[in-house]
Amino acid sequence: MSTTPRLRNMRRPRLEGSGRVRRDPRAERLYCGEPAGETLSARGLPRRDPRAWYAAGPQANGRVRIDRSQRPGSASVAASAPLRAAEPALKTVVIAEPAFWVLAVPDLDDGRLSAHDRDVFGGARLLAADGGAVVAVCFGPAEGLDLAGADRVLQFDAAVFAGYAPEARAAAVAAVIATLDPRHVLLPDTPIGGGDLGRRLAAQLGETAAVRVQKLSAGEAIARGNGGRSDYHMAPPRLLLLAPEAADPLGGVRHEALALPVPELDTPTRLLDRGLLAIDPNSVPLAEADFICSAGNGVHDWSAFHAVAAALGATEGGSRMVCDAGLLPRHRQVGASGTLVDPRCYLAFGIAGAPQHLQGITRCERVIAVNTDLHAEMVKRADLAIVQDAQRVMPALTRLIEEKRHGA
Amino acid sequence: MALDIAVLVSVGRHPASARNRRAVLDARALELALNVPGANIHLIHAGDADEPALREYLGMGVERLSVLGVPAHADVLPVLVAHLKALRPALVLCGAAAEQGAGSGELPYRLAAALGMPIVPAVAGFELHGGRAQLAQALPRGRRRGVEAALPVLLSVDRAAPEPRQSAYARAQRGQIERIAVPAAPLWQPPGEEQPARKRPKRLKLISGSGAERMRAAQGAAASAGKGQLLVQPEPAAAAQAIYDYLLSEGILRG
Ligand SMILES: Cc1cc2nc3c(=O)[nH]c(=O)nc-3n(C[C@H](O)[C@H](O)[C@H](O)COP(=O)(O)OP(=O)(O)OC[C@H]3O[C@@H](n4cnc5c(N)ncnc54)[C@H](O)[C@@H]3O)c2cc1C
Repeated sequence: MSTTPRLRNMRRPRLEGSGRVRRDPRAERLYCGEPAGETLSARGLPRRDPRAWYAAGPQANGRVRIDRSQRPGSASVAASAPLRAAEPALKTVVIAEPAFWVLAVPDLDDGRLSAHDRDVFGGARLLAADGGAVVAVCFGPAEGLDLAGADRVLQFDAAVFAGYAPEARAAAVAAVIATLDPRHVLLPDTPIGGGDLGRRLAAQLGETAAVRVQKLSAGEAIARGNGGRSDYHMAPPRLLLLAPEAADPLGGVRHEALALPVPELDTPTRLLDRGLLAIDPNSVPLAEADFICSAGNGVHDWSAFHAVAAALGATEGGSRMVCDAGLLPRHRQVGASGTLVDPRCYLAFGIAGAPQHLQGITRCERVIAVNTDLHAEMVKRADLAIVQDAQRVMPALTRLIEEKRHGA
Repeated sequence: MALDIAVLVSVGRHPASARNRRAVLDARALELALNVPGANIHLIHAGDADEPALREYLGMGVERLSVLGVPAHADVLPVLVAHLKALRPALVLCGAAAEQGAGSGELPYRLAAALGMPIVPAVAGFELHGGRAQLAQALPRGRRRGVEAALPVLLSVDRAAPEPRQSAYARAQRGQIERIAVPAAPLWQPPGEEQPARKRPKRLKLISGSGAERMRAAQGAAASAGKGQLLVQPEPAAAAQAIYDYLLSEGILRG
């Protein structure tokens, strides 16, 4: 256990600041790469391995970080950070005998809990704080209800509840309210989801709901009305329709999410869901579009571009260059001086990815780029990047989609 | 036999100038009704008949507006229910929420419950065939869902419905306002202590990690950073297949 003389003489200004040179032999050994780096030279002198720092391999972001902090063990902390991130065991909260119930009815669009749904569960937990239990009323299967904060789950799976079935769903929630007599019922105030269901319930039960609740705490709900100009402060009523971010979602604990028996129901259905309608994607405003196929200066074959957008059923967009040139109308421009778009997928043909253009697609999660330039910013931004001439890819893609459509 | 359509309208308020105007959603509801060929439109308002903004609805091309005379801040539900029960329209159209007063969007639902009609919200357009209504309901992201209902039905209209036509001044002045006396209505009570709406801060997304990670997240590329797939000079057919497979796996295209 030796320290090198060189190190002993090294100035360490931060430690000198305390007026006294303190030494930490263990940190020094670590800093020297001992014991892994300790070897003896042919002459019997201890040798230090200068590459021991790199031994841990690349750390965060694939970059090799040299740790000069001399804090014992700091290098190993950085190296094991991804390991620690892999789920610490969560505490499970058990509410065996609840004093009362609070219902939360998530939207479960696409069968998934949205951020808004999680906020609703957060609000339900606030209102259930003194001994109550949260019951999730779900139509169809859902994952992650335990992490969201549900103690019990009532899952209605019957076919009558699938698709747009607000009357059947309202009848089911009303039946649950009649049996459990919950203290509160919370829904997300979304136009065709919880907002619709909640107002149906309010009309059915003859109660007044707190709608567009901006902020919820155990003692107060702040609802919004009067065309968005007034806030109404009130004690939380039984029915609450929450705006996004009215309450914070739960974090760091797990609840039981035990399944409760589902009652048999006789449900009315006066409305028939006829499924999604085929619409002209170009009649949808760019800001609302679900899937955008966008053209830049690299597109010369415009008939091929329109054909591929039509085959994909995508809304057309473009960079400023093509809109300036009059190749697409101005309202199709994506970017800082055009439209900030929020599609589920953005497919860019021959777009360089100027900062003003990328600003328009910051909220977009899936980006596909086709560009001849490997080093274009758009290629770096893309989840799937194809370095190829757009004029050759567009007809190939049109042909492929047409084949699949007719083959199927 | 002409089809009876009741359109319920309210007095709107301009968000910037705070002047009374026709309510944008109610005007859209009226626009939908005006596009039904051969319909018999009953334009109904509950409130003050002397409100000048009401004439803007007449300017859209309706001869007459029936005003149920209730004082300001009255609960309009009972008088509307009584009036519609007598009228028995095949279709009731209204905006999703009023621009003044409670504006909670509960009135259409209460009305439908009281009249025993089904209600469909967010209607963007409709067609009527043989006693049934084929409705297009506006979903987020510009999608539309088909919903079918038997008449009579109550439809509420939101911003996805077509733009209303302009209101013509001369027509607005020519139109008649019919005053209907109704029994006294109870006053509407605000649901809680009323205060001016306060703008609430957006929740900040906390991103932990190294400086490089936070920078990437701020640029909006967090989701895709580093794990993108890159194909250099593939055959066009292979490129097309890669795009197609990606779109299928992400559920953008349906196979
Ligand atoms: C104040 C201001 C505001 C702006 N606002 C916007 C905005 O809102 N939206 C916007 O888009 N721009 C905006 N711009 C312009 C922006 O800076 C860029 O000039 C523009 O986005 C570039 O468009 P582009 O990528 O189509 O063209 P280019 O920059 O010319 O890029 C063309 C790309 O196509 C590739 N390419 C060429 N041939 C082919 C081929 N055969 N096949 C495939 N790829 C090919 C090239 O490699 C290149 O990457 C703004 C600029 C300013 C100054």
